[in-house]
Amino acid sequence: MKHFSKSLFVGVVFGALTIAAPLSYAATPKDQLVIGTSLAQVLSLDPHQATEGKAVEIMSNLYDRLVNSTPDGKIVPQLAESWKIDDKGISFTLRQANFASGNPVTSKDVVYSLARLLKLDQAAAANLKRVGYDKTNVDKLVTAVDDKTVRIDFSGQVTAEMLLYRLAASTTSVVDSVEVEKHVTDNDWGNAWMRTHSAGSGPFTLNRWSPNELVILDANKDYVTGAPKMKRVIVRHVPESQVERLMLEHGDIDIASALTAADLATFKDKQGFTIQRIPTGGFYVLSMNAGNQYLSNPKVREAIAYGIDYKGIEKTIMGPYGRARNVPVPENFESAIPNPDWNLDVEKSKQLLAEAGFKDGFSLTLKTIAQTPRIDLATAIQASLAQVGIKIDIQQGNGSEIIAAHRARDFDLLIPQTSAYMPNVLGSMEQFSSNPDNSKEANNAGNFVWRSAWDIPELTALTAKASMEPDAKKRGELYVEMQKMFVEQKPAVLPMFERFEPIVLSSKVEGYVGHPTQLTRLENVTKTEAQ
Amino acid sequence: MKELSVAEFGRRLAHLLVSLFILLCVTFVIGRVLPTDPVGAIVGELADPAAYAAMRTRLGLDLPIYQQFLLYLNGLAHGDFGTAVLTGNPVSSDLAQAFPATFELATLAVIISTFVGVPLGLVAALFRDSVIDKVARVVALVGHSIPVFWFGIVGLVIFYAGLNWVGGPGRIDVFYEGLVTPQTGLLLVDSLLQGETEIFWNALGHIILPAIILAYAAMAYITRMTRSFTLEQLSQDYVIAARAKGVSPFGTIWRHVLPNIAVQLITILAISYGGLLEGAVVTEIVFSWPGIGQYMTNALMIGDMNAIVAGTIIVGFIFMLLNFLADVAYATFDPRMREAAQ
Repeated sequence: MKHFSKSLFVGVVFGALTIAAPLSYAATPKDQLVIGTSLAQVLSLDPHQATEGKAVEIMSNLYDRLVNSTPDGKIVPQLAESWKIDDKGISFTLRQANFASGNPVTSKDVVYSLARLLKLDQAAAANLKRVGYDKTNVDKLVTAVDDKTVRIDFSGQVTAEMLLYRLAASTTSVVDSVEVEKHVTDNDWGNAWMRTHSAGSGPFTLNRWSPNELVILDANKDYVTGAPKMKRVIVRHVPESQVERLMLEHGDIDIASALTAADLATFKDKQGFTIQRIPTGGFYVLSMNAGNQYLSNPKVREAIAYGIDYKGIEKTIMGPYGRARNVPVPENFESAIPNPDWNLDVEKSKQLLAEAGFKDGFSLTLKTIAQTPRIDLATAIQASLAQVGIKIDIQQGNGSEIIAAHRARDFDLLIPQTSAYMPNVLGSMEQFSSNPDNSKEANNAGNFVWRSAWDIPELTALTAKASMEPDAKKRGELYVEMQKMFVEQKPAVLPMFERFEPIVLSSKVEGYVGHPTQLTRLENVTKTEAQ
Repeated sequence: MKELSVAEFGRRLAHLLVSLFILLCVTFVIGRVLPTDPVGAIVGELADPAAYAAMRTRLGLDLPIYQQFLLYLNGLAHGDFGTAVLTGNPVSSDLAQAFPATFELATLAVIISTFVGVPLGLVAALFRDSVIDKVARVVALVGHSIPVFWFGIVGLVIFYAGLNWVGGPGRIDVFYEGLVTPQTGLLLVDSLLQGETEIFWNALGHIILPAIILAYAAMAYITRMTRSFTLEQLSQDYVIAARAKGVSPFGTIWRHVLPNIAVQLITILAISYGGLLEGAVVTEIVFSWPGIGQYMTNALMIGDMNAIVAGTIIVGFIFMLLNFLADVAYATFDPRMREAAQ
């Protein structure tokens, strides 16, 4: 028996070694960039449909727009080599460029793309619809003057500068109309096909997208400014943060995003890696339902604003993800006002509650997506507000549950997050300060403020005025006024933390510059030899 | 005897189909009453009500639930599981893509757990209360009590990140992606069929750790059950007689015990196999394994009901089918069952 068990043991060990022996694992090849992240929210790669951050990051490499915005917020040419602004609109002159299919990029494609965006009419269209462009007027306002000239007339609700910023967003990507038209079924503008294919003029083409597995981008060798340095870019779905960390350390991925704060911390000062903290201009927000009997009272909202320990939470929970800030404009933006004094002040908060007639406090529910760092944030808010007598019951859910509750105004408190779509006050703040019709019947679920039933006619009017002001100085004054009014009205959509997207890069990667609105381009990214 | 078997077979088959239908009803109803919002997931958080309503109509979600169910059944009768929100593909083609990954993983896991678990159980029983028995019991206990998730991470830290013995998460190293054309969908098989031995070894390196970890819990169960089946047989008179006649311990096991516990073993292996297919979810998340578990987890996250219902039915069907086959094997091969039937 002894002999048997010994030989069994030896056999097993030997077997295991034989299996292990022929395997060897190399780091990622030098001409391929591998990005690890969570692709769970990527549902489409049609630029006129998808708005989720990770999808935008991929699409911004498949498509070009008329203009582009640099990471520091300047508008620069992309498909348009130049443009002329007059009283009524903007005329763009296109550069010589081809789509990956070989078809030339013409003004017809630009007109087709903007019409497609507005006529498909999904969330991606919101950005242009907010300033007066829609499916009924697009054919009149966006026209092809000749093969290489596109004319976009003002809608009457937008200035040239604001329009240019909106045209720099990934939602206005120019698609190959000839190619897309080949794949139209049931008048869907080719949407079914475009979700999983690309028809752009960008530096990469879509080789394959397997949802929740990976996205493979191939270099477009004929790209107008030359072939990208990377032959392929592979975006891998790694839903588990610890696993992603191991893969980065092991060299199987070059860039890791969507890491938890704890896993990020392990790369701090670690040789061979760098951390980029990309500002998004967006916020982690506490939405309070102003239709609630307690929260309709501005004093209660102010009491809550004084009842949260922003600094403590920033230090212990948010870490690289957020910076305490209660005005919906990042503090480094031009015309940003200083923070109000809404730091944790238990006495003041209690006093405000007493003045509002709720000396003994009350109970509320707080809904949040069970996701880093929001879930920890909810727990911290619960603990903080308990001190002032507000009892919080946390309800966690997945994205679609919580967003559905938000859209239906079915919550007391809820933690959403925002992104800025322009690197200026308006791009950051507009979604906090505009609610044209607060009635239930308006059912304006696409509007962030409407969802909190917060009625702000004056602030809405001021926001519209600011977006129409052509003079930069006057606009700056209006921006300041908007922010002050926002604070005075004790917001029902309370910004708590400015939002950052932290990523970790292997030092082998060079030339990767994270973009605030996720328009990070990869054509100039290179990799050095393994270190 | 033969007629009775056919009737019995039919009865069990009917039982399987009824169970499956009940599973379908329950999953469908739960799926539809859950407060998830696939429409919002498709049109985007900021879409306006008109676009939202249009998509709702397109997905048929504005119909009363019984109509949705009838439509679904009608589709099902034509082999149509509906369209997945997540991918925009027919759910059947998504499942056809995800299932082989899980199948490959679970099959390797059941092979490993059988080839380790059964001998370990036999030896443990044969040498009851010896060191080997105690070790086997500890191994089984640990396998039962430690979460797969934790095992997965620790396994990766040691064998992937530390020792570099196995490949990382995913089915294959990224730079091999797309080089093998899916035929069976089983990467190990496809790479061999296409003569890509390098890719075969790479894929093997990737599957071995998740398969062992997945196998471990099942192995614990198989070891425990084999041990107790064997102990039961060892106390039987015929075994004692055989031993008295001088048959060696292994001869006893091989010639007398194994044939007698074979049917019971088949049953627990079938149950384990079903459990492995079902329980691959956590393993797939840890190892970024693009199988049915991960597919369904993501479908749940966005309320993609067609995908969830279809996935549940497929897994449920396989589970029931394996149980059914085990039952049939039991009835067919076990002499006592045969006698009872007669």
